[in-house]
Amino acid sequence: MLVKLILIAAVLGLFVAFLRSKPGVRIQAGKRVAVILFAAVNIYAIVRPGDVSAVANLIGVGRGADLVLYALVIAFLMGMLNFYVRFKAVDQRFTALARAMALREAEAINRERFPDDDVCASTAVGPGRGDAERG
Amino acid sequence: MIIPVFNEASVVAGVVEEVLQTFPHVVCVDDGSSDHSVSEILKTDAHLVRHPTNLGQGAALQTGLAYALRRPGAQFFVTFDSDGQHRVEDARAMVDVARDGDGDADVVLGSRFLNHARDIPALKRLVLRTVMALSVAGRRLRLTDAHNGLRVFTRAPAQDIRITMNGMAHASEIVSYLARRRWKVVEVPVSIRYTDYSRSKGQSLINGVNILFDLSIRQRGA
Repeated sequence: MLVKLILIAAVLGLFVAFLRSKPGVRIQAGKRVAVILFAAVNIYAIVRPGDVSAVANLIGVGRGADLVLYALVIAFLMGMLNFYVRFKAVDQRFTALARAMALREAEAINRERFPDDDVCASTAVGPGRGDAERG
Repeated sequence: MIIPVFNEASVVAGVVEEVLQTFPHVVCVDDGSSDHSVSEILKTDAHLVRHPTNLGQGAALQTGLAYALRRPGAQFFVTFDSDGQHRVEDARAMVDVARDGDGDADVVLGSRFLNHARDIPALKRLVLRTVMALSVAGRRLRLTDAHNGLRVFTRAPAQDIRITMNGMAHASEIVSYLARRRWKVVEVPVSIRYTDYSRSKGQSLINGVNILFDLSIRQRGA
């Protein structure tokens, strides 16, 4: 029973820690080390399943396979989240790119459609139309 | 006046014409519509900005703001839905509030709940109230309705805001931004024309789950 609480706490803890972490070199390195460790432990578990079972018994998970499964679930969740956050960042860059394109094209089209629409600028208090400002 | 448009070919021209009678400068941001929304917009006197692909309503709003901000004379920036659910009179009244407020209203938000809003379907009302109750920022600003597409920004907040939530979560993002930067926010009662057309496009409770998830993960990790 105790181990269940520990495992659940570990999953939630990792989740929160991951979400709160700022991107950086250390996190990046940490992720890579974690992947390598995970692979290494897995190979060990394949070669000597008895040892894993012993560890599992020690902390009260039952079978060694269960322990590996729980570890896998945690790794899977972390991986998913990692991808999600990465994807968001890429999406934002993509949006910025598409927006820059759209604005550039729109300036050209609308200048053609409304050649005398500088009325807009004539009511301006500030300086005239310029390209200085970019979103 | 900024109108994000996504596949609204059947109504957008009518909405734009109606708006143009009151607001001379209209920017329609076509969010990569797959129907003939673009040609409908080109029939009107609205400026057109086209996203090369579909990015989401939040992205369209930010693009519209960026375009409108380049017009040096523009002082008030109104966001308006393209499906015809908002009333131009309400938008007019909100701009008046921003103008007459003399610095007391940096941002004016439309609210469907300030007055007795009987024209809102009961389930919709429940969904919107639930989202509002969950919003910390909304409570801090004492808002009654965070998910109304009708908003008026004065130039300073319009220049400052960065809508990064491309999808529908942008509404909550805008509210939390306003709370964080301590802009003076005023709510004005508006009413909504719930036609069968707009009802078929509204947000569902399921989408609320997506919104909450997006918001909780935003700007974290790498």
